[in-house]
Amino acid sequence: MAGINRKTIWLAVFVLLAATVLSACTRSGAQLGESSPGSSDTKSEGGGEKISLRLAVWGAPDEVKPYKIAIEKFEKEHPNIKVELQHIAADYDTKLTTMVAGNDVPDVAMMESGSIAYPLAEQGKFYNLQDFLSKDTDINADSLVPNITYSLEKGNVIGIAPGPETFGLFYNEDAFKDAGVEPPPSKVADAWTWDEFVDVAKQLTLDKEGRNAADPNFDPKNIKQYGINLPSWWASYSNFVYSNGGDFISEDGKTFALNQPEAVEALQNLADLVNVHHVAPSPVQSKNIPATHVALQTKKVAMAIDGQWVSSSLAQSKFNFNVGVLPVMKEPQTTVVCAMFSMFKSTKHPEESWELIKALIDPESSIDMLTAGTWMPAELDWYTDQALLDRWTKDLPARPSGYQDAIIDVLLNHSHQTPTGYVKNFNKIMDVVTPALDKVWLGQQSAQEAMDSIADKAQAQVQGRRD
Amino acid sequence: MRKSLFYGLLFTSPAILGFVIFTLGPMIASLVLSFTDYSVFKERTSFIGFDNYVRMFSGADDYFYPSLGATFYFVVLRVPAVIILSFLIALLLNMNVKGRAFFRTVVYLPSIVPAVASAMIWMWLLNPDLGLVNTMLNAVGLPGSLWLYGESSVVPAVVLTSLWGIGGTVIIFLAGLSGIPRQYYEAIEVDGGGWFSKLRHITIPLVSPTIFFNAIMTIIGSIQVFNEAYILTQGGPNNKSLFYVFYLWRTGFRDTEMGYASALAWVLFLIILFFTFFVFRTSKSWVYYEGEGR
Amino acid sequence: MRTSKLSLTFGYIMLALITVLFIGPFLWLIRSSLMDLSQIFTMPPEWIPRPVHWDNFSRAMTVLPFGTYFTNTLIITVAVMVGTVLSSSVAAFGFSRVEWPGRNIVFAILMSAMMLPGAVTLIPSFLGWQALGFYDTFYPLIVPAYFGGGIFNIFLLRQFYLTIPRDFDEAAFVDGASYFRIYLSIIFPLSRSAIIVVALFCFLASWNDFMGPLIYLKSEDLFTLALGLQMFQGTYTAQWDLLMAASAVVVLPCVVVFLVGQKYFLEGITLTGLKG
Repeated sequence: MAGINRKTIWLAVFVLLAATVLSACTRSGAQLGESSPGSSDTKSEGGGEKISLRLAVWGAPDEVKPYKIAIEKFEKEHPNIKVELQHIAADYDTKLTTMVAGNDVPDVAMMESGSIAYPLAEQGKFYNLQDFLSKDTDINADSLVPNITYSLEKGNVIGIAPGPETFGLFYNEDAFKDAGVEPPPSKVADAWTWDEFVDVAKQLTLDKEGRNAADPNFDPKNIKQYGINLPSWWASYSNFVYSNGGDFISEDGKTFALNQPEAVEALQNLADLVNVHHVAPSPVQSKNIPATHVALQTKKVAMAIDGQWVSSSLAQSKFNFNVGVLPVMKEPQTTVVCAMFSMFKSTKHPEESWELIKALIDPESSIDMLTAGTWMPAELDWYTDQALLDRWTKDLPARPSGYQDAIIDVLLNHSHQTPTGYVKNFNKIMDVVTPALDKVWLGQQSAQEAMDSIADKAQAQVQGRRD
Repeated sequence: MRKSLFYGLLFTSPAILGFVIFTLGPMIASLVLSFTDYSVFKERTSFIGFDNYVRMFSGADDYFYPSLGATFYFVVLRVPAVIILSFLIALLLNMNVKGRAFFRTVVYLPSIVPAVASAMIWMWLLNPDLGLVNTMLNAVGLPGSLWLYGESSVVPAVVLTSLWGIGGTVIIFLAGLSGIPRQYYEAIEVDGGGWFSKLRHITIPLVSPTIFFNAIMTIIGSIQVFNEAYILTQGGPNNKSLFYVFYLWRTGFRDTEMGYASALAWVLFLIILFFTFFVFRTSKSWVYYEGEGR
Repeated sequence: MRTSKLSLTFGYIMLALITVLFIGPFLWLIRSSLMDLSQIFTMPPEWIPRPVHWDNFSRAMTVLPFGTYFTNTLIITVAVMVGTVLSSSVAAFGFSRVEWPGRNIVFAILMSAMMLPGAVTLIPSFLGWQALGFYDTFYPLIVPAYFGGGIFNIFLLRQFYLTIPRDFDEAAFVDGASYFRIYLSIIFPLSRSAIIVVALFCFLASWNDFMGPLIYLKSEDLFTLALGLQMFQGTYTAQWDLLMAASAVVVLPCVVVFLVGQKYFLEGITLTGLKG
């Protein structure tokens, strides 16, 4: 066989290549071995000596940029402290869990109330930030926007958010002009009742022939433009549950409450938008498609109930959008959702970590995200001091004319904490509730039937309240 | 045939060592943890005997049986679809056509494109109101479907989306097909046999080891379906796509019940082991190895 | 071999259909990488970027240290590919061409590695590597490739080795060849198609691996492209334009490698079967 020699040479080259690559990566590995074996946060315990803090965050580059700015400023003010930013791009909880398992824990970490923040807090992994808040001279509970701290129980604050997020009724101004309908009011005092809202939504829902949903000949099978999207995410519909006087669990924390009349009515009203009034499309729950700005821009929907963060993508979409106040069922309410910064108990430098958290929530660092529309500031002065308020709301495409009344005023005066912040075992309860609600949105069951059918299972997961 | 334990072990020793060093330890660890209430964040872990397994089978876990059901439905639909489709596509790609390299690459492209990009396009295609698929169905007078949002349609819809990723299976088939000596086909042609005769008497028997491989791998991979639920459906609607490994992951990482998740994993291990063993057993009757004297 | 006109025409029609069905995600990716955010999500989708945003690429490449990520990814990928091809082909030889007692049982035990969901072995594996002092290095990502390279690849090659007629080995034995000689001069060359497949899969899997680097790496200067891609996804919205541009850049080498690689098993083995 003449081929043998050639093949052997070929193989030898192969082996040689392997050896080269291996030694190359051994070198790079060795270099690294020197710099970071084990924990990196303790260099020395001495007073003025170098301190190193590690901060774990997630986010897109534009979201992480404010943290980088904050860190830069922080390091300038504290020359003896070095902050190492650990950017965990995705599967944050998985990564953080393995880090905790391996005792490789950051000093400060961004956390999410709906995932592993509370499981960690329950095992005593976080500092009580209340202790810091009460003795701090710069910020305290009253200088922060309402509902942006998370507590394990009363008086035990496990995290502070870099800013709140609330909900509003975003709409396409042109769709209203086309239909000759008054756009949504922005002031709470003028807010639509639910029935008024449904009437308007009907006038804005058009079939292929251009007839609206109030027309007796309206064809619900061929809808071109819907009046409103369906807020089928728990945070979105919580606005209406609260507005109607309902809650996820009872005030004493003992009973599952989504099957109570107030909550059921709110949920049924929402489902009726799809199945009775035909003014909202069937549920499309997706975390991948930022549907709102597309849907509004293309007039697939005329109005959309969504978080204020959509302002930024709406502004980029370059069409005439505005925001009104959510329709009110009984009381005006908006739910505040937000991530938080928590401090791990294992940190060697709690005081410095606290200063870092303060630097991170300073709106000054995140001004780009504020003007872009994605975030809102955490500190109250930025809402009450006109000069500061102007900096992130005046003459900006992401802050339309209705913004101050519909979003800011509602946040300051009519906001409600997110259920993840006070309902114990929230995820497990929602594991039972969400599938049942799928049937409600699809019109296969009434809200009452669906909630009653799972009440016992949900009740079994109820473990009380944190507030 | 010479028998040599020494050479056998010599050639396989890196793989055996690798298994013992890198895989066996974590496997045993998870087996041990499956008898505990291990949670990563808790300081104390205690042995609780078979409690985790009792919880699973006694019906105390509302999601165990539904997730098994969803997974089996997925496997039953997907495995035959993947094997048959990818085999047919491989046959097409093995034809002597112009632009073969192009077509082969095209079939493999969806396997390379990041999952989020693919997910985006599926979300649009299968959107009940705005999607292309329903629009086209309506255009020819057929009723649309809720696809990913319907309880009865979600698993078939997920199977459909996953079929885009059959490029790997196709490529393995292609490699198998390329090993068939042309003379065999010529022999059939001499005997006057047609296309079907070639397929039945030459192609299928000679690629049966590849079919066998793809079948085993598709079964193992499909039973462990995760990404589709993670990216596309989050288990909904009404838990109809709550696939087993997705549920297991949720239990272990979101709910931080790693002990119970480990028990779930070992039950699945036994299920996969059973099916793999079963297919291996049947293989004696239909897989033909030229390297084994008959 | 003769292929009739009719079946060739039929073949082309089917291939055209398949192309339409399979090229979607790639076109979607490419066109999105050249669009601004608002156009990406237009309904119904548009396929022609207007205006063409070449700047997405420059922005995506500057926002993250792509050069570093690329180098890291290349080192890991090449190392893994070489290791896997070497060690899995050797192991597969031991599991198919050498007869030894316990062979099938050992093989079955190795197969079991694939049957346990990775979610529950993730933490123990991590703790193991950490205990060895290899957290935040490339070792956990590369070393296993040199120890078998994964049972998937071993199994795949075993299946191909088993199709090679026994007479070849027997004849070589008579000539006094050793097992190594048989592996090098008969089995390895005759299974070129399968080995190319293993190398390709290995390249693509390693290139696109996200979970491994996520868990085992900490320092940003060791990050890989797959990790970098995830960084464009934010809490409330993703920077889709940049994500798509960056994805296109990451995918491109895969397409090239695939195009080149598949050429080598085009030829296949045509006559060898009867020559030995």
